[in-house]
Amino acid sequence: MGAVPKPPEGHFSVLYFASASSFTSKESETLPAPLPLRKLFDTLEEKYNGIRDKILNSCLVTINLNYVDVPEPDDESSQAVIKEGDEVAIIPPVSSG
Amino acid sequence: MDSVTNKAEQLREKIAQTEKELQNLRRQLNELESPIQNLDVDQGHSSTSTTKQPGEASSPKWKWPLREEEYSRYGRQLILPTVGIKGQLRLKSTAVLIVGAGGLGCPAAAYLAGAGVGTLGVVDGDIVETSNLHRQIAHSTSRVGMMKVDSLVEYCQGLNPNVTYVPHREHLTPQNAEGIVSKYDLVLDCTDHPTSRYLISDICVLLQKPLVSASALRTDGQLIVLNNPAAAQGAANGGPCYRCVFPKPPPADSVVSCGEGGVLGPVVGVMGVLQALEAIKLIAGGIGKAAGSDPKEPVAPSLLLFSATSTTPFRSLRMRSRRPNCFACSAGSTLTLKELGSGSLDYVQFCGVTTPVNVLKPEERISATEYKDILAGKSHKGLLFDVREKEHFDIASIPGAVNVPFSILQRHGRPTVGYLTPEHLSDTIPAEAPIYVVCRVGNDSQIVTRRLKEMGLDGNGERDIRDIKGGMLAWKHEVDRTLPFT
Repeated sequence: MGAVPKPPEGHFSVLYFASASSFTSKESETLPAPLPLRKLFDTLEEKYNGIRDKILNSCLVTINLNYVDVPEPDDESSQAVIKEGDEVAIIPPVSSG
Repeated sequence: MDSVTNKAEQLREKIAQTEKELQNLRRQLNELESPIQNLDVDQGHSSTSTTKQPGEASSPKWKWPLREEEYSRYGRQLILPTVGIKGQLRLKSTAVLIVGAGGLGCPAAAYLAGAGVGTLGVVDGDIVETSNLHRQIAHSTSRVGMMKVDSLVEYCQGLNPNVTYVPHREHLTPQNAEGIVSKYDLVLDCTDHPTSRYLISDICVLLQKPLVSASALRTDGQLIVLNNPAAAQGAANGGPCYRCVFPKPPPADSVVSCGEGGVLGPVVGVMGVLQALEAIKLIAGGIGKAAGSDPKEPVAPSLLLFSATSTTPFRSLRMRSRRPNCFACSAGSTLTLKELGSGSLDYVQFCGVTTPVNVLKPEERISATEYKDILAGKSHKGLLFDVREKEHFDIASIPGAVNVPFSILQRHGRPTVGYLTPEHLSDTIPAEAPIYVVCRVGNDSQIVTRRLKEMGLDGNGERDIRDIKGGMLAWKHEVDRTLPFT
């Protein structure tokens, strides 16, 4: 992964680790902000068909190096929002050794 | 010839010289080791006793907590504030269990043995293979075929004979986990599969043992200290367990082993070394002494991510504390030692089972031998798609094969003909020319064959599309035994 560029205005960046990186063939990209956190998986599934079942459901997510619980997509009560300039990381478990 | 005899003569001379030197050294050692006897003999001769007690001058009573040799062996770490004499004594009185004597376990065990833990247990049921050696540094070419546990213990024994080594020549199972883990103070998860990761985490929660967990694949690694402090189930001041961080296992068919996905030696080495470091910090600092100043404050550890190819190779992520609804460590957990030991918790089932793919009818497949005959025959040879990743393809492939990596197909998600044309299906090939698909062992090739048909490439049965049963492995067995199989 090269140096992650600062996302352009109105965007946040997503970092893909391990199998998430293999699946998307990307190490990072930028997406439009703001985005309600509960919509994150939907947004990624739209871009990468099948990523929810294969990767996202078992991975952990951080925003700006802090762990976050990703709410269910229909959880209207969730106020968490990914803001402009945030760095989101998709981290699937690595189990080999 | 002359130079050979010359060389032999030189060697003989050298051996004679070295033997003389060895004799000399033995004599010196003997003299050094027998002063007490000499003194006793002297005393026997002189009836007038002196105030001096026999042997006092040469072996005074040892009054220090470590043995003399240990002060020189551990001196470099003893003078660090992180360790100190207190930390060294803690190390010496601690029993550490390493589960997995592979790429993580080898370096982790080596550094813990070197640092002078009291007891080092190693669990593994596998034997050393040649493909292990590029990363599993405690094993060696001459020990291929030996139990990994024995090889690792032999290596560590050479490094530091002061440690008590306990080999467990079996894999950790729900049935033996309690018996093995309960004898240790700290556990290192150096295994290579989700099933063992959840099992180790669960037994550590139940027995209240801190757990240093690491993993590595390709060029990525993860490290986290779990269950620290190792409080009882439901205690808010306990550290999170593996299930708190990863409550859901990844789908079984997406789990890639080092054998399939590859791994770079230093990547797994770095993670194993870091595991040893975390263990030493934990032990020297006193296990059970909470890292946070306020014991009531929930402990949020950090997960260290290592990406070897990144310009930011290390990232430290702040993790969550215990999950209030965790299956294993929450107050509402029903997990017990009895339940775990009875085997009623099926870890294999929980993590999912991969069954060999079987989506094609027998007439949609051909054997490697049949394909060899097609290649040798006069009829149109058609197209051969090799759907392994490029790196595998580059090492060895069947003559005429076109590389269409499975990952590209998978990434396109919905079937699209687009990516296959025009490079792969040139107009010069007749529409009825058959397409054959080969992969590594014959799973992906079936999925691709099925998908190509769904894409309509078979022209409603006009074109024959089949996969090669058993993939390149079958090709090696049936057709070309020289094929390097990766």
